[in-house]
Amino acid sequence: MTAGDRGAPAAIELLHVSRWYGNVVAVNDISISLGPGVTGLLGPNGAGKSTVLHMAAGLLRPSAGTVSVLGQPAWRNPEGYRRVGLVPERESVHAYLSGREFVEFNARLHQLPDPRSAALRAIDQVDMAESQDRLVGTYSKGMRQRIKVAAALVHEPPVLLLDEPFNGMDPRQRLHMMELLGAMAAAGRTVLFSSHILEEVERLAQSVLVIFAGRLAASGDFRQIRRLMTDRPHTFRIRSSDDRHLAAALVADPSVFGVELADGTLEVRSSDYAAFTRGVARIARGAGVSLYEVRPTDESLESVFAYLVRR
Amino acid sequence: MMRVLVAVTLRGLLNRRRSLLMLLLAASPVLIALLIRVMGRPADPERLAAEVLDGLVVRTVLPLVALVFGTAALGSELEDGTAVYLLVKPIHRWRIVAAKLLAAGGLTIVLVVPAALLAGFLIVGDQGGGMQLVAAYGIATTIGALLYATMFVALSVVTGRALVVGLVYTLIWEGVLAGLFAGTRVLSVREYVVAIAAAIDPEASIRAGLDLATAAVMTVLVLVGAFAIASERLSAYEVRSTE
Repeated sequence: MTAGDRGAPAAIELLHVSRWYGNVVAVNDISISLGPGVTGLLGPNGAGKSTVLHMAAGLLRPSAGTVSVLGQPAWRNPEGYRRVGLVPERESVHAYLSGREFVEFNARLHQLPDPRSAALRAIDQVDMAESQDRLVGTYSKGMRQRIKVAAALVHEPPVLLLDEPFNGMDPRQRLHMMELLGAMAAAGRTVLFSSHILEEVERLAQSVLVIFAGRLAASGDFRQIRRLMTDRPHTFRIRSSDDRHLAAALVADPSVFGVELADGTLEVRSSDYAAFTRGVARIARGAGVSLYEVRPTDESLESVFAYLVRR
Repeated sequence: MMRVLVAVTLRGLLNRRRSLLMLLLAASPVLIALLIRVMGRPADPERLAAEVLDGLVVRTVLPLVALVFGTAALGSELEDGTAVYLLVKPIHRWRIVAAKLLAAGGLTIVLVVPAALLAGFLIVGDQGGGMQLVAAYGIATTIGALLYATMFVALSVVTGRALVVGLVYTLIWEGVLAGLFAGTRVLSVREYVVAIAAAIDPEASIRAGLDLATAAVMTVLVLVGAFAIASERLSAYEVRSTE
């Protein structure tokens, strides 16, 4: 994975990290190095995502290897929390406090010079100003998630860790949160969030870490990962001025090993992503066919993930 | 920062049904003293006051109230997951422990000590010697409240079954074993409290199972030891993922 600026320590670094509980291995020899931007931690339930996040947050001691945040050890280093914000997965919050009191409580524990203003700013960021005076115990699941994010943002940390942050949010809140996290990443912060919802990761994350059975199955830009899978065909859906004629021309190309004409669309299977995308326009031109659309059909994160998990 | 931690802990402790139950428990010596008062002046009010304060306050109300608040102050937050918000802050863990035991100990003192004093004064009336006895129990109970609270806060970091372990300690160890085997009294907070009360009012009829020197040394050892254990265990506390 990409690290931070040249010479600067990585924002989050795990070196040969393992974590086991008795005989059960939760995380197995993972090494990652993350710099600013949004990274999605993807995997099915029980894959080890939360364990990785908890170790990065200093809430779990790695059984082997080292975990550091901005060059400092994550475990048993309370001072490090000045630069880290965590949104835990568990819903429980101090139900007897109002939303504002809860965020302000967090601000005071961070010993901020003006905790009230910091709390109001963070509440505003998560669009919770209207409900800030209600008791947290009366909040919906989505509202709790947002107030938890406000509590994690209140000290404006350069590193933000979020465990399943979109749980319980409605589509509008989800979009708003994605924009907020995207803006934070654009401002140079490091955002690492876990999710088992592929669409969330695909929409928000610039890079992904795919974890399966405690191992790092893949990391990087998920489209690039997909292209590296040469042993699995890439499928493209094509619209053109003459699909039948184009199909005949394409099937003669060595990068293509299958074409299918069905329901007025042309589907092409290729074993070589780069050669096909470079050559398709040339082949169409040679056949005298105009291309209207060439769209990869299996590049969703879901297909990448399903493939990696099967492997 | 300590102030806000103590304040939020107090809100959490007082926000629940248990505070009402604890209030009723703490009020029981006062109710019994009122009953004694209503029934007429006892023949030996000082001795009766000692029996009520020792038997009801020190042996029952004090450990139970301290147990409930001590194990809930931090233990309930560790159990329901809200402690994460404290653990991911730039605060040394000993400060969190200190705030929790101040809240639990303070609340125990506020509930139990006035009740003990009021019950004692209601029984002894205006007897000079009796006043000293009640004051002795008041001071000893204050020390006992802090001691129990520290111990039970520490217990809640060490085990998720702090309430059960604490009950076994107060009911079996202190309640039964300390009466049967003199050696076990050295590890009984109740015995320290009684020994301190007896030392403050040596004229009174307080039957202490330990001498003051032993009680004082053990009080300091338990206080410092429990605080150190709680701080260290909280520093190494791991929040398991829910996966």
